[in-house]
Amino acid sequence: MVFPAKYPSLNATEMTEEARQTLIRVLRVAFPHQCVPDGPYERTADTILTEAQNETWFRVALTQGLLSLNQLSDGDFRSLDDAAALRVLRRVDGTEFFGFVRRTAVLNLYDDAEVWTALGYEGASFDQGGYINRGFNDLGWLPDPRVEFPEGETMPEIAPGATGAPRPAAGGQKTDSTNQPGATSSDMEEVKK
Amino acid sequence: MSSVPENHTPGESVTGYSVAHDEEAVVIVGSGAGGGTLAYELTSKGIPVVVLEAGPYLTHDEYMNNEWESFNQMAWLDPRTTSGSWRVARDFPNLPAWIVKAVGGTTTHWSGATPRFKDHEFKARSVYGRVDGANLLDWPIGLSDLAPFYDRAEKAMGSTHVHGRPPLPANNNYKVFANGAERVGYKFYATGPYATNAEEYDGRPASIQDGFNFQGDKNRSKWSTLVREIPRAEATGLLDLRPNSQAVQITHDAEGRADAVLYLDEEGSLHRQAAKIVCVAGNSIETPRLLLLSATPSFPDGLGNSSGQLGRNYMRHLTGTVWGHFEEPVRMYRGETMAGMIGDESLHDPDRGFAGGYYLETISLGPAFMAAFVEPGTWGPDFAKLLDAYTNSAGMWIVGEDMPQETNRITLNTTLKDKNGLPVPNVHYDDHVNDVAMREHAYAAGEKVYAAVGARSTHRTPPYPSTHNLGTARMSERPEDGVVDRWGRSHDVKNLFVSDGSVFTSGAAANPTLTIVALAIRQADYIAEELKAQRI
Ligand SMILES: Cc1cc2nc3c(=O)[nH]c(=O)nc-3n(C[C@H](O)[C@H](O)[C@H](O)COP(=O)(O)OP(=O)(O)OC[C@H]3O[C@@H](n4cnc5c(N)ncnc54)[C@H](O)[C@@H]3O)c2cc1C
Repeated sequence: MVFPAKYPSLNATEMTEEARQTLIRVLRVAFPHQCVPDGPYERTADTILTEAQNETWFRVALTQGLLSLNQLSDGDFRSLDDAAALRVLRRVDGTEFFGFVRRTAVLNLYDDAEVWTALGYEGASFDQGGYINRGFNDLGWLPDPRVEFPEGETMPEIAPGATGAPRPAAGGQKTDSTNQPGATSSDMEEVKK
Repeated sequence: MSSVPENHTPGESVTGYSVAHDEEAVVIVGSGAGGGTLAYELTSKGIPVVVLEAGPYLTHDEYMNNEWESFNQMAWLDPRTTSGSWRVARDFPNLPAWIVKAVGGTTTHWSGATPRFKDHEFKARSVYGRVDGANLLDWPIGLSDLAPFYDRAEKAMGSTHVHGRPPLPANNNYKVFANGAERVGYKFYATGPYATNAEEYDGRPASIQDGFNFQGDKNRSKWSTLVREIPRAEATGLLDLRPNSQAVQITHDAEGRADAVLYLDEEGSLHRQAAKIVCVAGNSIETPRLLLLSATPSFPDGLGNSSGQLGRNYMRHLTGTVWGHFEEPVRMYRGETMAGMIGDESLHDPDRGFAGGYYLETISLGPAFMAAFVEPGTWGPDFAKLLDAYTNSAGMWIVGEDMPQETNRITLNTTLKDKNGLPVPNVHYDDHVNDVAMREHAYAAGEKVYAAVGARSTHRTPPYPSTHNLGTARMSERPEDGVVDRWGRSHDVKNLFVSDGSVFTSGAAANPTLTIVALAIRQADYIAEELKAQRI
């Protein structure tokens, strides 16, 4: 166990380039998108490293986590193929380390403009006049549906016979209780905070 | 148009009008659907009001068309805790609800669906009968009481499909949704009612279908109290608006009448505003929190809580999302987010195995929110596939009536304090068996809709943090059964009103905001009359 706050020298660690590369590989395996180039994965890894730099506990978890990945990989996590790497990640799924990496990745990887482009999302459109003349209704593989409710018909409110249906089992109960009050009343005991 | 003048004094009005702190004022807490509407309706009748709003005054040109940036800019991020067996407590333990902290409240981030309640939904207890474990009660009012105010609310909000307002056009997401609906035999599908302009209306332009609703509408085509009620109230010259001013306690005199509101400005300094009437509209988590924080020896369980129901019967609608993945592109993110509704399942039909009904409504998220919400906590190839399908995805949201339960409640978590040293609210929620049965039915119905138009696969997304928060200061005929009367007036404290969705006696299937606005308009008429007759 380390006591980072008590021994400042323990805080003076820095992640190596190897650690960064391992982290990038972790992200690729955990969030595998063929369409996404390396840039977003690298940026997300850097965000994680920056956050770890600012939070002692995260840094401890990250250092330890990357170390154990290599141990679980008999040496170097980066040398594993996709399937083997995925198995290793599944084994650390419940750890503080992986939870921190996953949360930070979900929030940052998918907030990256290059990922949006890869997934086909165009984002903000206000400056270009919205999508009104840029394909908000360009879907052509289905017929154009009506946009109003059918004329002269009213939406059903209560199914025929619903009010005549037998009440739920508790319906036979005579006196009102807290959970089953009468129609407009309920006798409740005073609730103490 | 930034709205805060330079050299603004913290905790003071940002309009040209201000009320002295020792002058007994009509004080409204919150400027969202309820509070903003009430402020406009009262000032338009010549009644000055002081509005205390915890959040900043931001306007359309400051909005950000980016999901996380916008969320961080405007969401209520003060700490909250959760408990109970609902999935939100596991996925988002410190974010039980998505509520906006800014002038205009959550109407800045809302999407715009405005269905009315049905007549029988005001009589949930009588119509549904006894439902084990549910704390059902009939509302003290019915549809006929509210109908004229629904009309006024729809006109104020510019709802499409009613009062001659044209419908919005079909966007891509709707085309998939509506065709699927038609093929499974649903009839009642349409692009509204939806409170966003299809054509210019009320001095605001038509929608340009820019795809951003949940982030505030830069084009001002969507109704919010920020674009309509607040500026109009300001124009009467009777609105004293104090942003960054969070009410922390309502005090009372020896007779048990509310006499002032204590609030904190952005620098943490405490102010006191004397009050002749206090209207609380902080949304259904902060409203009960404020009243619980106002407990005194005369009101030991919280202000206006002789019934013990304050904070209880918290409702959030059923919710859930179904995504369909298709062979062809959909590009659901282009266009109005929620301009599509299927109403066929909104009826009460106990033969389906549950009481009450639900709507299906189109929804779209960008990749950032999709990744965070589609299947919280997961990763790996299956997760990645859900995002790889993004362009070809269509989405629909389930909104259905959940059962009020006494044990679903807002309490003060005394083990955790916010930056002001106040206990944070805890939100406890367990799904009722009726809720679970309805959600299952709705997921299956949504999957059928997408299957009917050729979905390769579908995915069920669990509930998001609550956007509809209701019921924690419910209306009741008898003081023993609820917190406020048919006007939203406290049974116990005669000059205390609740003016937001906290007053809902039951949740109905409909999205709540139209009803919140209608109730606030109605309450304003009542307060004006009572003031005139000197009964307050
Ligand atoms: C993404 C999203 C989409 C939605 N879409 C729809 C929809 O399509 N249809 C629909 O009907 N509804 C929708 N809603 C819900 C709708 O926004 C709410 O029902 C409505 O805004 C609630 O109104 P309110 O007045 O109760 O509270 P709010 O609008 O939340 O306003 C409460 C205000 O009070 C302030 N406040 C709280 N506590 C204090 C305090 N102690 N002191 C001072 N100020 C305080 C808050 O900062 C806030 O500004 C949506 C919500 C979200 C988040």
